[in-house]
Amino acid sequence: MKISLNWLKEYIDLSDLSTNEIVDKLTMSGLEVEDVTDENELYKNFIVAEVKSVSKHPNADKLSVCEVFDGKENLQVICGAPNVAAGQKVVFAPIGTIIPNGNFQIKKAKIRGVESNGMICAEDELLLSDDHSGIMVLNENLPAGRPITEALNLNDVIFEIAVTPNRPDALSHIGVARDLSAIFNRDLRIPEINLKESKHKADEIASVEIIDSVNCPRYSAKIVLNVEVKDSPEWLQNKLTKIGLRPINNVVDVTNFILHEIGQPLHAFDLDLLEGKKIIVKSTNEEKEFVTLDSKLRKLPKGTLMICDAKREVAVAGVMGGENSEINPSTKNILIESAYFNPSSIRRTAKALQLSTDSSYRFERGTDPSITKYAAERAAQLIAEISGGEVAEGIIDVYPKIIERKEIILRYQRVTKILGYEISNGKIHQILSRLGIALKDLDENSLLASVPTFRHDLEREIDLIEEIARVNGYDNIPVVPKISITLERKIDQQKFEDEVRNIISSLGFYEMINNPLESEWEAKLTGNPISLANPQSVEMSCLRTSLLAGGLNSVKRNLNFGVRNMMLFEIGNVFNKKSDSSINTFEDISEKQNLILILSGKEEEKSWLDQEKYFDFYSLKGFVNAFIQKISLDNQLTDLYYSSENELYNYHWTKNFNNVVVGIGGKVKKEVLNKFDINQDVFVFEFNLTALKQITPEAKKYFEPPKYPKVIRDFAFIFDKYVQYLDVKNFILKKASKLLKSVELFDIFESESLGRDKKSMAFTLEYYDESRTLTEDEVEKDFNYLISEILKEFNAKLRG
Amino acid sequence: MLDEIINQIQKEFEKDIQDADSLKKLEEIRIKYLARNGSVTLLFDKLKEASKEEKPLLGKKLNELRNSVTEKFNSKKELLEKSETSSKEFIDLTLPGKTVKLGSKHILTQTLEEIKQIFKSMGFSVFEGPELESDYYNFEALNFPADHPARDMQDTFFINQKFLLRTHTSPVQIRVMESMQPPVRAIMPGRVYRNEAINARSYCTFQQVEGLYVDTDVTFAELKGTLVSFAKQFYGSSLKYRFRPSFFPFTEPSAEMDITCFICNGKGCRICKNSGWLEILGCGMVDPNVFKYVNYDSEKYVGYAFGMGIERIALLKYGINDIRLFFENDLRFLKQF
Ligand SMILES: [Zn+2]
Repeated sequence: MKISLNWLKEYIDLSDLSTNEIVDKLTMSGLEVEDVTDENELYKNFIVAEVKSVSKHPNADKLSVCEVFDGKENLQVICGAPNVAAGQKVVFAPIGTIIPNGNFQIKKAKIRGVESNGMICAEDELLLSDDHSGIMVLNENLPAGRPITEALNLNDVIFEIAVTPNRPDALSHIGVARDLSAIFNRDLRIPEINLKESKHKADEIASVEIIDSVNCPRYSAKIVLNVEVKDSPEWLQNKLTKIGLRPINNVVDVTNFILHEIGQPLHAFDLDLLEGKKIIVKSTNEEKEFVTLDSKLRKLPKGTLMICDAKREVAVAGVMGGENSEINPSTKNILIESAYFNPSSIRRTAKALQLSTDSSYRFERGTDPSITKYAAERAAQLIAEISGGEVAEGIIDVYPKIIERKEIILRYQRVTKILGYEISNGKIHQILSRLGIALKDLDENSLLASVPTFRHDLEREIDLIEEIARVNGYDNIPVVPKISITLERKIDQQKFEDEVRNIISSLGFYEMINNPLESEWEAKLTGNPISLANPQSVEMSCLRTSLLAGGLNSVKRNLNFGVRNMMLFEIGNVFNKKSDSSINTFEDISEKQNLILILSGKEEEKSWLDQEKYFDFYSLKGFVNAFIQKISLDNQLTDLYYSSENELYNYHWTKNFNNVVVGIGGKVKKEVLNKFDINQDVFVFEFNLTALKQITPEAKKYFEPPKYPKVIRDFAFIFDKYVQYLDVKNFILKKASKLLKSVELFDIFESESLGRDKKSMAFTLEYYDESRTLTEDEVEKDFNYLISEILKEFNAKLRG
Repeated sequence: MLDEIINQIQKEFEKDIQDADSLKKLEEIRIKYLARNGSVTLLFDKLKEASKEEKPLLGKKLNELRNSVTEKFNSKKELLEKSETSSKEFIDLTLPGKTVKLGSKHILTQTLEEIKQIFKSMGFSVFEGPELESDYYNFEALNFPADHPARDMQDTFFINQKFLLRTHTSPVQIRVMESMQPPVRAIMPGRVYRNEAINARSYCTFQQVEGLYVDTDVTFAELKGTLVSFAKQFYGSSLKYRFRPSFFPFTEPSAEMDITCFICNGKGCRICKNSGWLEILGCGMVDPNVFKYVNYDSEKYVGYAFGMGIERIALLKYGINDIRLFFENDLRFLKQF
C-alpha cells in the first residue's frame, strides 16, 4: 500500500519529524515501511529548461541537436524524441543528474560525434508514467531554471507499507495517521462533514433493501443529482497519481480518494441506470454470468453476494461494479454505495473470481461498519463540490442489526506478566486512547476498554496487550540474561537420523536434498503415489513414494555437469497411499523416513597407486553392511538375495527384520536408467529408517581377545560354477567342531584348466579355544573331516 | 712405552676411519679397535701392569683415547648410515598420497545441526511431525480461521479438502502440546512446502526450525533473551538486532527479529533491500486460542514460539545467490561444504 506523506500530514502534524524518524517508528510499531521514495531526493537536479532551437543531427537521422536554455546559459543537447520543438518548456537533466529509471548518471558525452551537455526527459525516465513516446512538454509559463520539484509539485515522500492481514484499519491514510497519533502522542484530525443539501429527499428518490443481511449487515447510500462528469481537479488527480492510481473522472476519483483516505470502499452507480431506482442486496441462488466494469464476462458461483436493482444484478458486492450501471460521461445523477459486507463472503467471491481489487482487499479483511454514513456523506460533499451537483437531503441507511463495540477488561498486572516489564497505567491509558479505544477505570487493577468497530483484531485482553507492547516499542522490552531449565531428560527424536547421517557421510557419501514433489510416472515406479489437488506442474504433481527417482535425477544432473563418479545419499520422507480409496484419515497414508545410498561410476580412479575400478554390487554390499554394523543391527537383520531381475533391478538383495523387508537394493536396470537418460551403471540401496529406528540394537558387550594361539588352515576346492559361496560357508560352519571360529573366502577364480563351468574357491579356517592351546591333532582331524564332507556334499575336488 | 702405543693406535685409527667408506668397513674398524678383543680394549688390560705412579696419567690418556675413538666412530657411522639408506632406498615423498573419500553432510543439514546444537544446550528437546498434515493441525488449531486472509500468507499445496502439505512446522507445536503437559521446551525442525514459483529466491519446499516454550512464568522478555542468545551464538557476539511487531495467527503479540545486514554492515544493499536489516525469524507469545485447542489453561500458562527458515539462513551465511543450488545436488557444489 502506498502512502503519501503530504497527504498524511492533512490528518496529523508531523512537521517537526524527519522522514527517517517516521519510517523507523512506523516499522517498529507494526506498519512495516518496505520502501521509501523521496521525490525531493529523486528529482533534486532536474530543472525546467526552454528549447531555443532544434536542428538535425549531422550524422543521425533520428537525433536532433537542440539549443537549451537552463535559466543561466544556452547548452547544446542531443535529443532523440520525435516531438522536441523550439519554444517548448521541458524537463532537463543537467550533467551529473541521476536518472530515476535505471539509476544512471548523465555525463558529458559525444553522441555520434556531436557534444551533448545533458538530457531532455520523457515521463518514463522520471518514473512518472510508462510513457516513452516523446519528451515531457511542460506548461509554457514555467520559468527556465526552476527545479521541477517546485514546478511539478514533486516534493512528496511516498511510503510502501506492508500491512499485515490483521490490520485492515491501517489500510488508509487516516488509518496510518491514527497509529502515528498513538506513537507520537499527538492529535488525529478527521475532516468534518460540511454538507449543503438540496430539498430533494434521498429516500424519496431511491430505496435500498437488504435480503441477505448476514453477508451485508449495513448499506448506506447517498444521492447526488445533476453532476457533470469530467476530469478531476489537479489536486485530486495529483493525490491519486502519487499513490499509483490512474485518475478516471471526478466521481470515480472521489470514491477512490475516500477509500484511500479513510479505508471505506465506495461504489458510484449511475442512478438513472438503476431499474426502479432500487438497490437490492442478495446472494445468488444459482450460477450466473455477469459483465464487470472492466468489460469482462465473469462466472459467478452460487451464493455470490450481489447488488441488484429492481430487475438485474448491477455489481458484484464488494468486488467490482457492473458495466451496466457504471458512471459514464453522460451520467447526471448518482447513487453512492457505502456498505459493510461480511469479510468471508467477499473473500469467497474474490477467490472464486480470482479478482482482487482495492475494495475486495479491504472488505475481506474487515472494514468499519460504523463509518459507512460518514464516508458516503464525505464523498457526496466532495463530488458536489467538484462536479457542480447537488446533494439530496438525508441518507438511505439500512442497518438492521447494529454491530456494537466490543468491551474488554484489561488487568494491568497481566501486561507485566506477559511482557516481562512494567508499563505505567498512565502510559497504557494514553496508548489505548490514542488508538481510538474508549476507556473506563474499573478499579486500581483493571480497566474496561470499549473497542471501536474498525479494530476487528481486538477481541481479548491479549490483543490489547499487543497494542500496548507495539506502540510502546518492542525495543523497550528487556532482554533477560538467564533462563531456568528443568532437569528432566531431554528428548531428541532426530538423534537416530543425525547418527545415520554422520555414519554415511564418513563412509564417503555426499548428502543430497531432492525435491519431494515429482511426476506421476516417477512416483509410480516405486509405490502408490499421493497426488496434489493443485500442483504447479505435471513434473511436480505427486509426492515421492521412495527416494529413487529423486536420486536418479541427481545422478543425471551430475552426468550433465560432467561429474561421472558419485557416492550419494539422502534421508527424506516418502509417502504412499495405503489403498486406492480416497484419503480421509491419517490411517490412509503411509509417511516414512527413508535412506538411499547411490553408487555410480568409478570407485577408484586409475592412479600411480591403484588400478581403476568401477563400483559394483560388492561395493554396495560393503557399504551397506558397514552401515548396519555401525548401527549395531548386524545380528538383527537377515539377508535375502534375488539373482533374477524384477521391474527395477537386474538383481537385488533385501535386508529383513522378522521377515519384513527394511531395505532393498541392487543394480538398477537399463530400462529404468534410460528413462532418466543415465548411460552408466547405478547401484542403489534404500532403507526404511522409520523401521530401523524401532529395532533395538544389540547391546555392546566386551569379548576378551584370545589368549591362546590360533591354528590356521587353508583349503581350496574346485566346485561346479553354480555352487554359491554362502552355501559352502554355512555348510562348513555346520559341520565343523566348536573350535572353528571363522571361515573366510580368500580367493575365487574360473579358468579353462579347471574345466568347463567350474570354479575354484579357497578358504581360510581359524581354530582356537578360549581356555587352552589346541593340539595339531585335534585340528587336523576336524580339518580332514571337513574336506571329506565338502567333497561329498558339493561333488567338489580338492585342489593340490 | 704404553704412551707410544697409545699414539700409534690413535694414528692408525685416524687413518682407518678416514678410509672407511661403507658400514661394512666400519664394522671391521669396530672389531679392530672397540670390540672385546679390539686394540683399544686390550690396552686397558695393560694398564693393570703399569706402575702406581704411571697409572693415573695413563688411565687418563687411555680414557681420552677411547672417548675420541668412540666419538669419531659414531659420527662416521651416522654419516654412512644416512648416505647408504638414501642410495639404497630412495623414496619420492612428494608423490601424491592415497585418495581418501571424504563425504559430507549437505550444507543445509550442517546449518540445521548448528542451530539444533545451540537450542539443545539451552534445554530444548527435539520433536518431529508429519509433512503430510491435516488442515486441522496446519491451520485450524493454529488459529487460522477458514476463509481468513491470514491463510493467503502461506500458499498451500492441497491433497484434498482435509489434507495438505504442511506450510510450516507449527503443527508440530500442537502435536507436542497434545501429547504432554507443561512445561514444554522443544524445537521442531522439518520440511515444509509452499506453492510458490521456483526461481532464484523461492522454492516449493524448504526446512524450518520451530521453537516452543510453555510454562507458568514465560515472558516476552525471556523470548527476547533466548533468541538474542541464539543469534549471538550463531551469527557472532557483536551482532545488532531489533524486534519488530508482526502478525502470525498463532502468536499474540507477534514479532519478527532482524539483525544488521552482514553483507553491507547496515549501510543498505541489494540483499537487505537497502534497509540495512535482515529478517531472520518470526516469533511471539503463544495465542491463548491455540491453548484452547490443546486444553491448556491460558490463565495459568504462558508460552512463546518462534520459527526460522534454514535455506534463507544458509543463503545469507554462505553468500549463495540461488536457492535452487540446494536441490540440484551438483557434487561440485556439495563438495564445497
Ligand atoms: Zn545489506
